[in-house]
Amino acid sequence: MVILRIVSRAIAAAIFFAAAPAFAADNYQTDIGPTPKNGRQGANVQGRGTVLATLDNNKFSLQGKFSGLSSPATEARLHVGNVMGGTGPAIGGLKIPQAQSGEISGTFTLTRDQIAALKLGKLYVMLDSQSAPKGNLWGWFQPEHVTVPPGVPQMDHWYIPNILEDESNDPAKKRNS
Amino acid sequence: MFKGRGKVSMGAFAAAVALSAAGAAGLWASHALAQPGVVAGPFTEAQAQAGQAVFTGRCASCHEAGGETVRLISSGFTDVWRARTTRDLYTRIKTTMPFGNPGSLSEAETASVVAYILKGNGAAAGATAFTPATDVSINTIIAARRDAYAGYVSLSGMPAATGITFPGTVAKYTPVTEEMLLNPPAADWLMHYQNYAGWSHSPLKQINTKNVQNLQLRWVWSLDDGERQQITPLVHDGVMFVSTAINNKVQALNAATGDLIWENSLGPRLENQVNATARAMALYGNQLFYPASDATIYALDARTGKVNWKFKISNYGRDKVGGMMIADGKLIAGLGVCDEASLQDRCFIAAYDVKDGHQLWKTYTVAYTGEPGGNSWGKMTNAERSGADAWIAGTYDPKLRLIYFGTGQAKAGQNGIGDKLFSNATIALDVDTGKLKWYHQTAPDEGLDLDEVYEKILVDNGSQKLLLSAGKPGILWKYDRTNGQFLDYVPMVFQNVFTSINRKTGRGTYRADILKPEPGNSRPSCPAQSGGHNWPAASYVPEDDVIIYPLMQICVTSRGDMIGNFEAPASDGYLGRLSAYRVKDLKPVWTLQQRAPFLTSSMTTAGGVGFIGDWDRTFRAFDVKTGKTLWTTRLGTTAQGFPTTFTVDGEQFVAVPTGYNGGSPQIRPSSMFAFERNRPLVGHAVYVFALPKAQ
Repeated sequence: MVILRIVSRAIAAAIFFAAAPAFAADNYQTDIGPTPKNGRQGANVQGRGTVLATLDNNKFSLQGKFSGLSSPATEARLHVGNVMGGTGPAIGGLKIPQAQSGEISGTFTLTRDQIAALKLGKLYVMLDSQSAPKGNLWGWFQPEHVTVPPGVPQMDHWYIPNILEDESNDPAKKRNS
Repeated sequence: MFKGRGKVSMGAFAAAVALSAAGAAGLWASHALAQPGVVAGPFTEAQAQAGQAVFTGRCASCHEAGGETVRLISSGFTDVWRARTTRDLYTRIKTTMPFGNPGSLSEAETASVVAYILKGNGAAAGATAFTPATDVSINTIIAARRDAYAGYVSLSGMPAATGITFPGTVAKYTPVTEEMLLNPPAADWLMHYQNYAGWSHSPLKQINTKNVQNLQLRWVWSLDDGERQQITPLVHDGVMFVSTAINNKVQALNAATGDLIWENSLGPRLENQVNATARAMALYGNQLFYPASDATIYALDARTGKVNWKFKISNYGRDKVGGMMIADGKLIAGLGVCDEASLQDRCFIAAYDVKDGHQLWKTYTVAYTGEPGGNSWGKMTNAERSGADAWIAGTYDPKLRLIYFGTGQAKAGQNGIGDKLFSNATIALDVDTGKLKWYHQTAPDEGLDLDEVYEKILVDNGSQKLLLSAGKPGILWKYDRTNGQFLDYVPMVFQNVFTSINRKTGRGTYRADILKPEPGNSRPSCPAQSGGHNWPAASYVPEDDVIIYPLMQICVTSRGDMIGNFEAPASDGYLGRLSAYRVKDLKPVWTLQQRAPFLTSSMTTAGGVGFIGDWDRTFRAFDVKTGKTLWTTRLGTTAQGFPTTFTVDGEQFVAVPTGYNGGSPQIRPSSMFAFERNRPLVGHAVYVFALPKAQ
């Protein structure tokens, strides 16, 4: 099941990124997973999805899928958080079906600050559902990177988001990415 | 805790039912323990009910997970709080909770949580509302619960036996010498990390990358369920020593067959969840040293299990023996769970004489006023300074005559006070005197529980004498272990606590909103308190100069109703990661990820094979050069503890403990897995594998 998810995500990424222009566009991706919960809330906060996106100048286009919700989705939005892994105000709404699975899409014209926030990993998708009206799935956009099935080793280098200024300013010392 | 087996007295049965109900149904079920005639508590039913809602929204993500732990309803609470007042409890919660955002609960919310906890522990609601000024001795309103626990009997219906409960003698036992610890025999696993350098690596190579897929279960030995099960099965002369923290039972087993040789039920038996964990026993001479959950170190005759001597290293509260080791013929132990604001509860590392347990030296890890580092605690009084527990065993460089320990976070965890020395640090002590030689603090002045207490791995790279360490932020630090000079670092998981790290000093700069929370905004911490790295230790493979770290990718956030744990950004839902780095230059070598976090240490061998177990019951062998999985098997419950390997009569075995209970590395994923994955909440054991006899 997980391998299927990874493979389908890779195919979707290939199609999506292949359709994007080869110049000037930056590709992003996020795996949207369950929002914070404790054991009691677990049944209401289920599901997973993948959203791919392209930034072409200031046009941010995103498209993805979600499934496995324990109740129909109600609303999804693009947000900008205070930090990668943090929350913040909505930029705008995303198109989703009122269903437990389906596609998610949207297009935005980002401001300069929002583009800067995107490059710092602060932009995230939030999807609500009937049983989790304050957040069911979320995920922060990352630059396009390789993902692998569980248990499959990656050799020599791999992607880990990094907010450390020293490292990001000195490519020679940048590791793991 | 109370499994049905044999006859049980009606009184015990009633207690068992009540306690089981409390565990199954949560805090509210325990009110059944309140007895008629108990003095009404200083709170109302409405407050207690309101407190349940607050607890669920703001506290449960840490204090309760997956319905399997009810951490504030046990003797773990009553032992600490019965001698105090409701006002003390109110103040503690109001000033230190919730995690990451202390002081954010209103007075009414705090009062309701106090009411909820008191009721959960057996106090009866009354007509008078609880206020911040309410000051009643807790012991006077929760006595009924203590009475209920007092009726414990063993599963057989008889009072739980203590002392030697299975007599026997090891037929042939060679005293463990300092020379053996300096150069550990390949056949044995004599100490927590196999060698003084903390490598968790064995020179054995009978089991290798070509035949490991043939491993078979040779024997399994069940251990008493309950409490945190994170043991290291020590092996010497074909004898395996194991223990259970719930009742402080120590056993010697035939390491080839799993037959019991002797058993000593030291006691006391504990109710659930009081932070007891006997990770590291120690062997020296003819003695086996056991860190009991009541802060007592026992010196047992390793041949018979009989007690030679015992020494209680702390008489305060719920203190525990933390990390324990032998170095230079001395027994070295840290104090753990020493986190109460009291002059009597001050964390330390101390050396004891192996002959009789008398103290040789003691070094405190919390600096008081007037001492070196004493100014780093701001305006906090000495009594208010606590934490910096040394709860993980240290390592030792016999040539430098230095022992290396880590320390945990300061208590209470708040930012903006001062560095709070010597919390969250790697420290080097003179083995002869205990004098502090150097320290390096990786998370000064923090309130996010960023322990740096874990294994200190010693590696020589040419003339460089290195120390490698990783704490909860998941950053691998490299030091010169002769003087503590910071050399290099590499983040092994996503972290958003630090925005920069000074490459000359190694000191990190916290994200601005950690030091000064932004009203209305979330305050996430990646990693969460479960840590990017935690007690499951790394291993070092000298043949490849590779260090292999078990890692976890969980974040936590706090903002109103959005408190709880979540998958780290870009983790793709993989909570567990296992990563290898070359020590020489910290270059990434390989990594693998999976949904379930790893909850054993990484244990490697000269056969090129590594072993590791996870939350989801999988125990795997991997190629240390590539990370490729070579063999897996499923165990009865979560693999948890420190795998070891050894030989008996020339045959190599691999041992792995299992246990379902544990601290934040086990609780947080359990909360996140609720309704997704399951594992039995029984099954503490040690499993032993070997190749088929014909091989």
